[in-house]
Amino acid sequence: MIINKYFVFSLVVIVYAFSIVHPANLFAQAQSHELGHERPAVPPVTSPESEGGKKVSQFKFKPLNFAPPKVDRIVMENGMILYLLEDHNLPIFNMVARIRTGAIYEPPEKAGLANLTGYVMRSGGTPSMQADKMNEELEFMAASVETSIDRESGNATLSVLKKDIDKGLKIFADVLMHPAFPEDKIQMRKDEVVEIIRRENDNPSQIANREFRKIIYDSKHPYSRRVEGTLESIEKITREDMIAFHKKYFHPNNIILGISGDFNKEEIIKKLNEVFAGWKKENIQFPEVPKVERQFERSVYNIYKDINQANVMMGHLGIHRRSPDYFPVTIMNFILGGGSFNARILSRIRSDEGLAYSAFSAFQTSQDLGMFFVSCQTKLESTNRAISIALEELDKMRNTPVGDEELAQAKETFMNQFIFRFVTSANIVGQKVEIEYEGLPLNYLETYLDNVKAITRDDIQRVAKKYLHPDEIKILVVGDKERFDKPLNNFGKVNLIELK
Amino acid sequence: MRKKALASIFSAIMLVMLFTTRGIYAESLKLDVKEHVFKNGLKLLMFEKHDVPIVCVRINYKVGSADERPGITGVSHLFEHMMFKGTKIFGTKDFAAEKPLLDKEDDLVIRISAERNKDIPDTKKIASFEKELEEVRKKLRDLVVKDEVFALYFRHGAAGLNAATSSDGTYYFCNLPANKLELWAFIESDRMKNLVLREFYSERDVVMEERRLRTENSPFGLLMEQLNAVSFIAHPYRWPTIGWRSDVQNITKAETAEYFKKYYAPNNAVIVMVGDFNPDTAIKLVEQYFSNIPSQPTPPRVKTIEPEQKGERRTEVEFESNPYIAISYHIPQIGHPDLYALDVLASLLSDGRTSRLYRSLVENKRIAVMAHAFNQISKYPDSFVLLAAPRAPHTVEEVESALYEEIEKLKNAPPSDWELQKIKNQLEAEFIRGLNSASGLANEIGEFEVLADWRYINTFMDKLSQVTAEDVMRVAKKYLVKRNRTVATLIKKEHGNGKAEETKETHKAGLPMTID
Repeated sequence: MIINKYFVFSLVVIVYAFSIVHPANLFAQAQSHELGHERPAVPPVTSPESEGGKKVSQFKFKPLNFAPPKVDRIVMENGMILYLLEDHNLPIFNMVARIRTGAIYEPPEKAGLANLTGYVMRSGGTPSMQADKMNEELEFMAASVETSIDRESGNATLSVLKKDIDKGLKIFADVLMHPAFPEDKIQMRKDEVVEIIRRENDNPSQIANREFRKIIYDSKHPYSRRVEGTLESIEKITREDMIAFHKKYFHPNNIILGISGDFNKEEIIKKLNEVFAGWKKENIQFPEVPKVERQFERSVYNIYKDINQANVMMGHLGIHRRSPDYFPVTIMNFILGGGSFNARILSRIRSDEGLAYSAFSAFQTSQDLGMFFVSCQTKLESTNRAISIALEELDKMRNTPVGDEELAQAKETFMNQFIFRFVTSANIVGQKVEIEYEGLPLNYLETYLDNVKAITRDDIQRVAKKYLHPDEIKILVVGDKERFDKPLNNFGKVNLIELK
Repeated sequence: MRKKALASIFSAIMLVMLFTTRGIYAESLKLDVKEHVFKNGLKLLMFEKHDVPIVCVRINYKVGSADERPGITGVSHLFEHMMFKGTKIFGTKDFAAEKPLLDKEDDLVIRISAERNKDIPDTKKIASFEKELEEVRKKLRDLVVKDEVFALYFRHGAAGLNAATSSDGTYYFCNLPANKLELWAFIESDRMKNLVLREFYSERDVVMEERRLRTENSPFGLLMEQLNAVSFIAHPYRWPTIGWRSDVQNITKAETAEYFKKYYAPNNAVIVMVGDFNPDTAIKLVEQYFSNIPSQPTPPRVKTIEPEQKGERRTEVEFESNPYIAISYHIPQIGHPDLYALDVLASLLSDGRTSRLYRSLVENKRIAVMAHAFNQISKYPDSFVLLAAPRAPHTVEEVESALYEEIEKLKNAPPSDWELQKIKNQLEAEFIRGLNSASGLANEIGEFEVLADWRYINTFMDKLSQVTAEDVMRVAKKYLVKRNRTVATLIKKEHGNGKAEETKETHKAGLPMTID
């Protein structure tokens, strides 16, 4: 109810930036160590510098006794993969589904098709239950069914009180299998998307995120597009396109389902068999997605916008989610710019010099190569200074080994925060679904701590050299370059991008 | 009456349920929060939840931007930031060496500012002070242990570490592995006892950047700031929590320290713990670390009462953005019986796809892409706000009249039983879902304690279930009237009619803000 809150640290802004690119795993949602026990406190590598720090180092903490609950994995006859975790603490029930599909599979001239399909699947109702009726049914029982299709996956969720599980499941299954795609709801959503696209230029960070993607990826690659499509492509999408898109990907063998809450395993499987009765395995031909071409070249871009703060994004291609270097890269980035106040970039740009409220770096990951980027917002008069500091930090990361203490700080953060991966059953099941969908080893959580623990200073420097390229970085600034502290062409020839 | 046997499930997490004859099942759900008040006035609120070994702790202070005055607006929020800068024993290698340098820094800053404010400033003098200042800062920087509080917390597995300020309160968040509670007690009690306003000037700049980010360059932020400033003419809710630009730039360290002493005392604070801990042990722990912090005289309450609005107010904001509209109506403070009906009214208007604004403005007329209504429940009388974004080529005018149309409907006909029951069902489900999140519960208990009393959560469910269709009509007629409203619209600035400027006062009173 208190809405106007100001925070010391902008998780809000950062989460927003991430959600635009990809919502995965760049935070210090860290990992502790072997499941079940808190690691015994490791003596710090160097002694603490402050009196308080010294006192804290004397503290003895009891080990945490916690064994994460075991999640069942079942493959149904129709090929659907289930993750199940019973939790009888509260009379609530949640399901989350991942469907292998995404905007990467839509033709470029129909950009926005996947996203539109994902939205209207739910908003348009089904032949057996019209949209208005569905809204009324769900909202009266304080339940929700939602669907969406993103760049590289489709998602569906159900949230319902225990007493309404049957009704909820029925609607959920109906929406997945038989969306109606009525013309009026399609047109309505198209109009909304058009307005959303029209409004994008209102917000500097939205401009930066959208344009940065275009700079990083070749225009022929679907990663370069926005999932909402363009004003032109939205026009061209027909109801038949949407029906075909849905039909192609929505089959039980293409779905991973995470189930948590107050239910009984045997009963729920029976119920799922009932609501999905007749839904059969189908062979799916996924369209070929071009490989991301590796190309690194320094370039500088400016977009004029009449604002008093520059919005900076700089970066280049990064890694994909299944990269064997994922762990060392994550820890390296934590030290560089992912670990908020502990990270070098924020420490210098914000804490030392007061140049920005938010400044961070991230490796956004995807099936193919994701992006590495640094983002910050600073008054026009310190734009050049902030960019220079970030570049210096990238250089330093490449050329100087990290300190023992700094590495220990990063690793311990990840290991001790591990418990927060298990705060709710929905949360645990959600991770299992994600892990399977991403094609990671199914014992990912069980081995995570060992993976973190194994990282050495050499690993950090090796991946820094391999994945950070300050000399070949692309720099994009939204803001009036006439008012920058130094000319932007200090960093290279400036390309101007006109806002449309 | 259909009693569902849920009590046994709930009791496992210390939840007490009562039943009434209304509704689908239990209408009254209650939190059983344990309370302990220490001799120095510090209050501890505890709610056990043992499913995962974490503890979510909050220290909330009953002070927010409403307690400020012109000239220092934004000081509560600035102070929220300063709490992360360390103490006499954290964040410094040697406080004894640091202290005289900090004093010297302040002295130089004041001299520079005074010289700049003269009619004919002596530029040589300023330059020499600045040089000296830079040297002092260099020495200071060698003594600082960067962001140590943050680092210690992180390293021990803290998550969700943050703080927030609103018009009524300041909130410090920390979620910890359950075995680290003593670390929290040690650090937090020290922050309350031994705070040092370290890196004050650079943090003030950070807040300026935050202001640019969230208000000055955000269509939405800007609109809300202007709406409040026009809705309230006397009460401090008129200024933004982040503060006016010129105030933020000029707040002094002395003013901040004085503010701290007055408001950040144990008797003005409340600690909330939710999670896997033992209450007796927690009380002992808090006693051990916090009980020697002296209380202060009870801080004053805001005396200014917003005068009754005597007619519609309108304001327009020109900005490089597509249009938005925001409308506010004055409503009473927390605890006033009319607020429950207004809560139901807000829900009726904009919660979900079956809500009235969505159905009418978004779905049927298709003139808006977003339309919301919300009740701002605060310590002092606040506002009921409507917010909408038109869909081009539709205009804010069309949207505005469509909003009024919906409000008039509410005055002339009672909402249906179905609508009311839906809202009550949702509130109940929301309450139950809320119990799943230790972090969310800690926030909620803490927020209501700051506004009035955490028990508000418990009575809230009862009161809402008693709201009738007639109540909704009555409050619509009473509050949502023309003379009680303020309308703010954001309209697109034509390209090139004046650039976004930093106001000139920056220079005049501006202090050296960055260390190069």
